[in-house]
Amino acid sequence: MTTAAHAATSQAAHTLRTPGPGALRPERAIAWRAFRQIWIGSVAWAVAFGGTIASSAITYASTFQTEESRQQLVASTAGDAGFSILLGPTDEIGTVGGYTVYKGFVFLTTIGAVWGLLVATRLLRGEEEVGRWQLTVAGVTSPARATLATMAAIGAGIMILFGGSTLATALAGRDPDVGLSGVPVILYGASLAIAPAVFASVGALTSQLARSRRLASGIGGVIIGAAFVMRMVADAGPELRWLRWSTPFGWAEEMAPFTANNARPLIPAAITVAVLTAAATALSGRRDAGDGLLTSGDSGHPRSFGLRSSLGLATRLEFGPLLGWFCGVAAAGAVLGITAKLTTRPLPESMNDLMQKLGVAGARVDQYFGIAFLLVATVVALVPASHIGAITSEETSGRLVHVLARGVTRRQWFVGRLGLGALAVTLTALVGGFSSWAAAALQGVDFGLATALGAGANVIPTALIALGIGAAVSAWFPRAGAASVYAVVVWSLVADIMGSLGSADWLQKFSLIHYMALAPAERVEPTTIAANLIVAGALCAVAVARFERRDLECR
Amino acid sequence: MPTAIQLHQLSKRYGPTLALDALDLEVEAGEVFGYLGPNGSGKSTTIAIMLGLVRPTSGKATIFGLDVRDDLLDVHRRIAYVPSEANLWPSLTGAEVLEFLANIHGSTDTAYRDELVERFDLDPHKKVRAYSHGNRQKVPLIAAFASRADLLLLDEPTTGLDPLMEQEFRNCVRAARDRGQTVFLSSHVLSEVEAVCDRVAMLRAGRLIETGRLDVLRSLAAVHVRATFDGPAPHLDGIPGVTGVRITDHTLECEVHGPMEPLVQALATTRVTHLTTREPSLEELFMARYGGSHKPGAQGR
Repeated sequence: MTTAAHAATSQAAHTLRTPGPGALRPERAIAWRAFRQIWIGSVAWAVAFGGTIASSAITYASTFQTEESRQQLVASTAGDAGFSILLGPTDEIGTVGGYTVYKGFVFLTTIGAVWGLLVATRLLRGEEEVGRWQLTVAGVTSPARATLATMAAIGAGIMILFGGSTLATALAGRDPDVGLSGVPVILYGASLAIAPAVFASVGALTSQLARSRRLASGIGGVIIGAAFVMRMVADAGPELRWLRWSTPFGWAEEMAPFTANNARPLIPAAITVAVLTAAATALSGRRDAGDGLLTSGDSGHPRSFGLRSSLGLATRLEFGPLLGWFCGVAAAGAVLGITAKLTTRPLPESMNDLMQKLGVAGARVDQYFGIAFLLVATVVALVPASHIGAITSEETSGRLVHVLARGVTRRQWFVGRLGLGALAVTLTALVGGFSSWAAAALQGVDFGLATALGAGANVIPTALIALGIGAAVSAWFPRAGAASVYAVVVWSLVADIMGSLGSADWLQKFSLIHYMALAPAERVEPTTIAANLIVAGALCAVAVARFERRDLECR
Repeated sequence: MPTAIQLHQLSKRYGPTLALDALDLEVEAGEVFGYLGPNGSGKSTTIAIMLGLVRPTSGKATIFGLDVRDDLLDVHRRIAYVPSEANLWPSLTGAEVLEFLANIHGSTDTAYRDELVERFDLDPHKKVRAYSHGNRQKVPLIAAFASRADLLLLDEPTTGLDPLMEQEFRNCVRAARDRGQTVFLSSHVLSEVEAVCDRVAMLRAGRLIETGRLDVLRSLAAVHVRATFDGPAPHLDGIPGVTGVRITDHTLECEVHGPMEPLVQALATTRVTHLTTREPSLEELFMARYGGSHKPGAQGR
């Protein structure tokens, strides 16, 4: 054999990888590929979690420097069932640690839960829906092993979240006025990792049940909502406190880092994650690739509803998701309406100061709903994310080509879809207002229907701006449209709350919610409404103009 | 005969990649036109520009005299399109998708559509998500053939079809031509193009390298000659137009470009017992144009 031939053979031997000791196992490759898809998001959320925690701790230490001021805060808030239902653990807010846990509780655990769920459904059902999963499991692996490898990658992402939260708490805790350190810091990080871990495993399971990523995420979303409401009920009074053990949000709350330092809730959390992951892994190997265990009929007689125009079809296809949003916002409104009963009880003087700090005024019930409708506004402002996601999916999947090639103009299609989104926002907001009124009326709370519907309608312009932002982003970067809405809404909520409580006033100026009156506790200025609508309209117009001119993106 | 498609100096650039390079092309109304080229040569980009899905970097595309940028709606009213991969709405049945596509296009022969559903053996009551790849592909094919569009733009439309359905497809293309419809067929299946196309164009790296009637292209290409002789081997060195000479035992094979006369004179020096000539197949034409010289210098889409 010549030297050249030897070299070629040697090169070929290096190029051809054969399994053996030290060779990369297929599952490691699968886990690595999955991790590459989520690590940026994990780091981003770790930074967001860390920033929220650190700013809460430092702000508290600087704002409430004396024991007296802290006791005043305790007197105004601690033990108040209304605050507990809305915001979670209020009992220990007289300490830096207790306040830090309370301040970020609802926001961080909810975001963590939603993130964990969406990551799992994206990496499992999403990959399977587009056919990449089938390519993966056609390798030297099995669906069960591939599922487990993917869950390991999600676990690594959650560890990044845990690391970011713990590190930020520890760094903020080095400030002598804050003084947080040791095992409680780790417990706090662990308490924040419970929701993403549990709901990622929920997402893994729903990915085995549903045949589409959207349905898998939707089922998971309902479970998150139920767990959230269960936590709210558990915080309604001491006699219901045991219910905390029935929900992952309750487990996180029950850990009470920096005060009770209870590590026991980690046990049910770990068991739940293990059981759900094992179930998902087992089920993935017992079903057909591309299929789900929840099967619906694969055939049926034609229904003419929605087949006469592209807008009609969009209405038909979006009807299910819209019903889901109606249910979600109706549940949120109902909970707010039920808990409005608390406003009939006497309120400490210091509570009034806090209300004033949040900028609300008027009758007690109006003040309550003024703040409570922030939750409705957040839910309604997220409706455009779903809608923009559907618009993007039509384009990137190639389905839009069939429509545009048959005499429907881009403007006609895009404007129609945005109009449908605006209608969805409007109806969802009104459903939120109506359900809060109905629930409050059942409790005998004096909250008029017109006022409730007005408070619901008040959030519409803000949500329309979110729709406009999503439309504009998707007009330039189709795949980033829905994510931009989620980011803007979450950012707006955080910035507004942080700004309202005095930690950083300037942040509020960059929040959409800042430009929304807290109706019915604040007077709604027609000029502000008009300005918001003009901004939303301008964003949509820019989006339409750009969409008409750019190349279509499809795989 | 009026012009169905006219592309003038059409170019498309994706960042540093030149997908189409000053393409000039004319397709006459009523003909079946084959559009050939290797992967990434720019076939789909050409069709996407004609549909107005992507905008040309420079140049102009007109369909029946209508500019695809200025009169896109009118253009769309006169065309039907079939992509290589039929991504449809999974929750709709095949019948619902056909109904929807017919409604938004506005000109469909529903009786012919029902006939095509039978001929293509499609179960219209099944939901799209339950269709196999091939069955899913039949839906836009049926929608396009049932439309009364003047121009059918078919981008590798038979992907996933079995041989029986492929035959049905060819019948439908011929029927469309008989009705006076123009068919622009981008395809990798050379036998399919050879069977139904009047003219073909070959694309390489965003440039047209050959356009014309198949019989003319064949006549311009080398003719394969096979001769058996009973005597001394003829000397063919330096004979004009003769290449690829292979002599084994008493059999000679070669390719002849241009006139046959110099080869015939050379063969007269020996005793030829059998002589056959064969025009090149489309596959041989294709391989002659691309074989070994297909460089990915300007990959299109």
